[in-house]
Amino acid sequence: MEQDAQLVQQCLQGDGSAWEELVRRHTRRIFNICYRFTGNSTEAEDLTQDVFLRVYRTLRSYRSAYGGFATWMTSVTRNLLIDHYRRTKRDRVTDSLDDAMPVVENKESVGRRPDEQALVGELSGQVQTALTRLSPELREAVILRDLQQLEYIEIQKVLAVPEGTVKSRINRGRIELARILQQMGVRPS
Amino acid sequence: MTWTCEQTDARLSDYLDGLLEPAEQTAFDHHVNGCGRCTPLVAGVSQVLTSLHRLEQVEPSPRLVNAILTVTQGPQTWRNAKRWLRGLQSPRFVYGAVSVAATIVLLLTATGFNWRRPKLADLAPATIYRNADSGLHRVYARTAKFVSDLRVVYEIQSRINETEQSPAMREDTIPRSSPKKEPGRTDNSQPSSPKQQNRADEIGRNLRVLACEFPTLIGALADRRVS
Repeated sequence: MEQDAQLVQQCLQGDGSAWEELVRRHTRRIFNICYRFTGNSTEAEDLTQDVFLRVYRTLRSYRSAYGGFATWMTSVTRNLLIDHYRRTKRDRVTDSLDDAMPVVENKESVGRRPDEQALVGELSGQVQTALTRLSPELREAVILRDLQQLEYIEIQKVLAVPEGTVKSRINRGRIELARILQQMGVRPS
Repeated sequence: MTWTCEQTDARLSDYLDGLLEPAEQTAFDHHVNGCGRCTPLVAGVSQVLTSLHRLEQVEPSPRLVNAILTVTQGPQTWRNAKRWLRGLQSPRFVYGAVSVAATIVLLLTATGFNWRRPKLADLAPATIYRNADSGLHRVYARTAKFVSDLRVVYEIQSRINETEQSPAMREDTIPRSSPKKEPGRTDNSQPSSPKQQNRADEIGRNLRVLACEFPTLIGALADRRVS
């Protein structure tokens, strides 16, 4: 975390290699948040680029008192994801009928694959599909807590909501995710 | 403590994260074990958590980092150029560049390069050699003349000092105790000894030589002595 703050300082002084190091350190994490939120690697890559572009342009507004560069960056990511969700909401409504197709395919394919690794991969795909069906508020809370392993206090800062709301959203998100998976006929091991 | 299905819904994450108090934990377990609605709910959410934790990190495309850098800092060639230019700003490089520039200026000046009217022909090796050669000779001649002048001045100064300090040149120091009188002398003047006379003659000769070489300087020194 201190190293991030030092790299940010070097970036602000015009050191291009420091920015390159920051990008290399955080690309994978930001990409995974975006991927788990959208369920689409192409969209996730575009969003990851947008996140870094916004971070690059607003780097001077970062204050270490905010709670660490990673938390600040996650907050920027979250805001962009919400913007993206709102922007593409209409498209998703028209595509909602098609969403069932991959689930059916996955469900049928479970019985056909003897390899356990393949089953795990299949299950991951189903969990990912279920994740994208959660409401964005619950989805982001579950991703940050259960996939990114953030503490409640960090999630509170990223989402800019009280701790009680964070806990409530995580709880509801998990229950809702279990319900969706049950509807999909998936029994997680 | 009694526990309800609503409490199970509300505190399920606390239960899974191990954040319930012992009494709450006991009540939770007691309720869930006997509730047909809550038992599958807790099992299902536990399994979901396990599945979420098993999800592996997805590797982004190897081109993503480069794409981000291109979006933020421009193409690879431009980034390399900026990095190179930034390297030029290091103090070590600036010091070295200034030293080299100063050396070049000094060398060109020494070879007679005209900074007010610079010409490309002045930078030709033959011209530089000729200018440097004549410049060196001029410098050598000036140095030799300067050293020679210094020597002459020192010589004059030392001669004058010797003259001023010599007892033969001061009349009040001439001993009067000699009672001898030369035959034919009617005045009381004291004849100089041969040694003193020779010294006075030598000084006179030197002054005449110096007067020929440095008439102005000798005139000034003579004025000073008179005053």
